[in-house]
Amino acid sequence: MRKIHGGTGAAERAGEKAPLLLRLAAGMALLGIAMLFAMILAFALPAFLQPGPGGAFGWFWRPYQGEFGILPMLAGSLLLSCSALLLAWPLALAVCCWTLSAAPGLLRTGTRAGIRFMTAIPTVVYGFAAVFLLTPLIRAGLGGAGRCWLAASLMLSLLVLPTMALILEAGLKPRLDRLCLGGQALGLSKLEILWFLVLPQSRKTMLAALLLGFGRAAGDTLLPLMLAGNAPQLPGALTESLRTLTAHMALVTANEVGGAAYNSLFTAGALLLIINAVVSLLARRLAGRPGNLPGEQM
Amino acid sequence: MTEGPEAPENIPEPEAVQLPGSVHLQDLSVNFGRHQALKNITAAFSPKGISVLVGRSGSGKTTLLRSINRLNEEFDACATSGQVYADFGQGLIPLYDNPDLFLPDLRLRAGMLFQNPNLFPVSVYRNLALPLQLAAGFPKAELPDRIRQALTSVGLWKELENRLDLPAERLSGGQQQRLCLARTLALEPRILLLDEPTASLDVHAAKEIEDLLLQLAGRYTVIMVSHSLAQAGRLGSRILVCEEGRLSATLDAGADFSEEMLARLL
Repeated sequence: MRKIHGGTGAAERAGEKAPLLLRLAAGMALLGIAMLFAMILAFALPAFLQPGPGGAFGWFWRPYQGEFGILPMLAGSLLLSCSALLLAWPLALAVCCWTLSAAPGLLRTGTRAGIRFMTAIPTVVYGFAAVFLLTPLIRAGLGGAGRCWLAASLMLSLLVLPTMALILEAGLKPRLDRLCLGGQALGLSKLEILWFLVLPQSRKTMLAALLLGFGRAAGDTLLPLMLAGNAPQLPGALTESLRTLTAHMALVTANEVGGAAYNSLFTAGALLLIINAVVSLLARRLAGRPGNLPGEQM
Repeated sequence: MTEGPEAPENIPEPEAVQLPGSVHLQDLSVNFGRHQALKNITAAFSPKGISVLVGRSGSGKTTLLRSINRLNEEFDACATSGQVYADFGQGLIPLYDNPDLFLPDLRLRAGMLFQNPNLFPVSVYRNLALPLQLAAGFPKAELPDRIRQALTSVGLWKELENRLDLPAERLSGGQQQRLCLARTLALEPRILLLDEPTASLDVHAAKEIEDLLLQLAGRYTVIMVSHSLAQAGRLGSRILVCEEGRLSATLDAGADFSEEMLARLL
């Protein structure tokens, strides 16, 4: 075929080379992930294959008595993530709905900028601020040590809030924009359009935000490490201490360099990896689909 | 618009109010940022028959239409000056800077139809029921009757009587546009603002909509934007030519407005 455009030789050459480089880069990334999975699972396999007293799947972590159960930490991770989401998800949805529909101009711009800024705040800053500001309040108001499930949960919800709000906004805004002018011409307000038409259509976006928020909450190490108290136990109340899988791994790797305790960490790592991989895949699958599928019709 | 709310009785009676008609534009200018879309337009629209706005793309036709239901205000950096008066059955009232006028009410009484059928991604029934319930505030018990009447008025009742739960997006283009018209009519407007309502339809569907509009023209003040001079000639009892944000010519039905003549004016 005759070329219509001239002078594109360099671009074309780059275009020919780019896929090879891209394939190589993608292959290396995939290989890295596969090796990571393979290594963690291979080390964790003995614990999965030989469950029993003293193994990883026990309810007690007493290294000096030969018990290396990580189930309290698994429960701690799940409890902390879920409780943080219980607060953060409705808040993220409310903030998103408000900025999209009802917020006056300057306040809307300010809130959006604030949410974006929050994503850039290092986790340690949240943790540090909470140690000095939040934990004394909890200690004074509710008793206990202050470093507890509640403190970690509150700060973790603040950490995952912007992630979820941004995912929600990215999913809801295009749908709202599409329906807005027509709806307003019929006398509906933006909030009514959002509430009655956009949200019922966006269940997958809302679920994706929830799952990605969960992944971020379950994967965070520093906040539970600094704020949750880290007692390897099942907490009976919000003011009690708990230990998450991530904090447990950080604590044990800081103190051990081998042995049964160290080996049980691979089980913890494998569990964390599996939980996060499943959640992430589910969320991306949901977020990647168009919202207006026939199944989402009302 | 002028700064701050002003009591309606303090607004001076405009010259255009003396003219017969139910929509009056008084020295109306609309800016979007630095771009002036409408420039000091004064005009009156008759309550009977169809007034058709024609003009090149970007001449301000749609902006003029949207200034009547104040939809321009939903766009960033929109600034309007001048005044629009409309008669919704109780005499002419100012639409801008009128603290007694509730914006959703205005949009119910000045219904709009867009170029592309802008149905909600819900069922046929819910498309009609939602605005009736939320914007017009009709009780739920009245909805089935009102929906039947609205669908009957656009000739869709027999086609959709047993398929009201069908997703509205599955209807054909012509049916979708008729459903949009039914949704607007159900809200009992006095003025119909039509923005190229047949532009996205095939010839047969466009003919159906045109026939409907001719039937409705006696009951509503109809102001329509059309890109088709032939259509303007067929439907218009009055044709207004827009050019660079101004009205450059107005032709009444009595005059001989042939397509060639309109083309010359454009």
